[in-house]
Amino acid sequence: MTQTAAIFLSAYRELSARRLFWLALVINVLVVALFASLGINEQGISFLGWTFDSPFYNSTTTSPETFYKSLFVALGVDWWLGLIATLLALVTTCGIIPDLVAPGSIDLLLAKPIGRARLFLTKYATGLLFAALQVTVFSLASFAAIGLRGNVWEWGLFLAVPIVTFFYSLLYCICALVGMLTKSSVASLILTLLAWTVIFSVNLSESIVVAGRIANSLETVAIEKELTAGVTEDGSEPLEESDLETLRSDLQRAKDNRVDWDRAYFWFHGIKSFVPKTGDTLELLDRWLLASASMPTRDPDSERGPQRAFGPRRVKRGEYERALKEEERSRSIAWVLGTSAAFEAGILLLATVVFVRRDY
Amino acid sequence: MKAHSTDGGLAVDVDGVRKNYGRRIRALQGVSLHVAPGEIFGLLGPNGAGKSTLVKVLMTLVRADEARGSVLGHPVGSSAALEGIGYLPEHHRFPAFLTGRQAVEFSGAMSKVDRPTRKRRAAELLDRVGLGSWMDRKLGSYSKGMKQRAGLAAALVNDPKLVVLDEPTDGVDPVGRREIRDLLVEMRAEGRTVLLNSHLLSEVEGVCDRVGILVQGRLAAQGTIDELTASSRRYEIVIAGEAPVWCDAETRIERVPAGTLQGVGIAGAATRLMFLGLDAHGAQPLLDRLRAEGRTVVSVQTVRESLEDLFLRAVTDPSTGLILKPGAAR
Repeated sequence: MTQTAAIFLSAYRELSARRLFWLALVINVLVVALFASLGINEQGISFLGWTFDSPFYNSTTTSPETFYKSLFVALGVDWWLGLIATLLALVTTCGIIPDLVAPGSIDLLLAKPIGRARLFLTKYATGLLFAALQVTVFSLASFAAIGLRGNVWEWGLFLAVPIVTFFYSLLYCICALVGMLTKSSVASLILTLLAWTVIFSVNLSESIVVAGRIANSLETVAIEKELTAGVTEDGSEPLEESDLETLRSDLQRAKDNRVDWDRAYFWFHGIKSFVPKTGDTLELLDRWLLASASMPTRDPDSERGPQRAFGPRRVKRGEYERALKEEERSRSIAWVLGTSAAFEAGILLLATVVFVRRDY
Repeated sequence: MKAHSTDGGLAVDVDGVRKNYGRRIRALQGVSLHVAPGEIFGLLGPNGAGKSTLVKVLMTLVRADEARGSVLGHPVGSSAALEGIGYLPEHHRFPAFLTGRQAVEFSGAMSKVDRPTRKRRAAELLDRVGLGSWMDRKLGSYSKGMKQRAGLAAALVNDPKLVVLDEPTDGVDPVGRREIRDLLVEMRAEGRTVLLNSHLLSEVEGVCDRVGILVQGRLAAQGTIDELTASSRRYEIVIAGEAPVWCDAETRIERVPAGTLQGVGIAGAATRLMFLGLDAHGAQPLLDRLRAEGRTVVSVQTVRESLEDLFLRAVTDPSTGLILKPGAAR
């Protein structure tokens, strides 16, 4: 315990000696101050005394609680913590493992009565300290801001600490492995960013395939319903033979496409199972914080047409978006966190084995 | 400071240490090293001879292909052994963001020293190595010599029984070197064992009780300097003129050309008679005989190989008389 505490204290001293750490902390507070200066009233959104009218976002459609929680998740977590702060954290911490294994530095630590695996994993954990401290400060400031502005003291905001730290660890494990293999901070940063791009591409591709598959499914059901009814969409008159022929043709095409979507889903979902679910992990916060909140939703009957890529033509926009959200939230937490954690464990195991077996 | 013992056993007692890097480089070829408690042992050898590898094996930085024995009575590389060791690596790199005090305390914490003890010892040791007024400044602002002193303090914070120092005077000015040598002697007086790895032969000769010379991954010699140079000890008598006819075949005779002996009043040639293995007592009859023959005795002295001579002899191939190439065996 003495050794672990000493390593963490040293890591904290290292972080606090870096300007980037304090800069990121200041930006944290500024981001929270930014969304604390936003408000919601009957006309729309207010900002420092000005009001911007919005029929969609106002206090009659969205409660202040939901408004601030949405800001916390969308602006704070998804953009600030999930992207910009993560980049800053990677830049700051990418040198931890290369510095650990540098000649002259590793000698001082391995000559101490501490197991190699424990030493490596503790140093890895200190790499997460930057992200954990930043997100803790951010959550604390957001908790105060939402409490004071929205009069809601939402303890659930602190779920961001483990979730964002876990999200960061999914990238940092790659950084640690590359740092271990190359002993280079620059290489570990670049290759981690590259890996993040690949992970993002896999996740994005899979979500596009899922969207297309759902659209295909909804489209098929809609055509079948229209064929069964045998009347026009508004039900005013029976369909003509040419319309029926078009519907039958569309149905056949949709069924043919289904095979392709299923095949694509099989491959992309399969690949995604083996990579960390960075987006889905952050989405958990959205799920837990906003699932029960009175979020403004589109009227399922309001519009129709393809608003998204591969969107169904015959299905109302609100219905399609609701189906997408349901699919997104139907993914079990165990699958999202479990498969991501398995990826991280595998990468860490590899890095630890290299660290333990190497001569210095 | 308390005295240390290893319950009667050797502080370092390892045999058959082997380490190969790949198939070609044989860094250590069955080295056996025995260091008694409370002594300063100097590890010598040319570059690439395996000194650092041997030290790194003892400190678990390098995994030996084969190593038997113990350090401080515990298996080599075990946690129990490491708890009793203080180590200063050659090119150590303490974090620049720590102060001298924080670095020494960190070293103590990593050696499982409790907080009050390590705080007290950090201040004491930094004061002892001459960094008392610098202990709260960042290591980044230290000179190389000051970092070396801080490293020594860090190596001693766990009150070690065995102190392993790899080039401890590297980058230290002459005054600092002297202070470090004094510190080594103090460590010995406190009962600590010191394993000193150094290129500086004069430094080793001045403080070490015993030395070991590694050459191409093998321990070419190990013992006290007296033991190792015993075979080369001789008695030299320089006389004016030619060598007497009674000098036997075992006496090495060297002619000293005229004019070589300055300031002794000898105008002509002289002769140096070298009697191997002879001490002062045994030389008296020879001197009596020379005097009886009316010969002028110019000088009398006992001569022993220097550590440098010993070192050079150890790194010379006896079959060719050439200095062995530096580096590990291939």
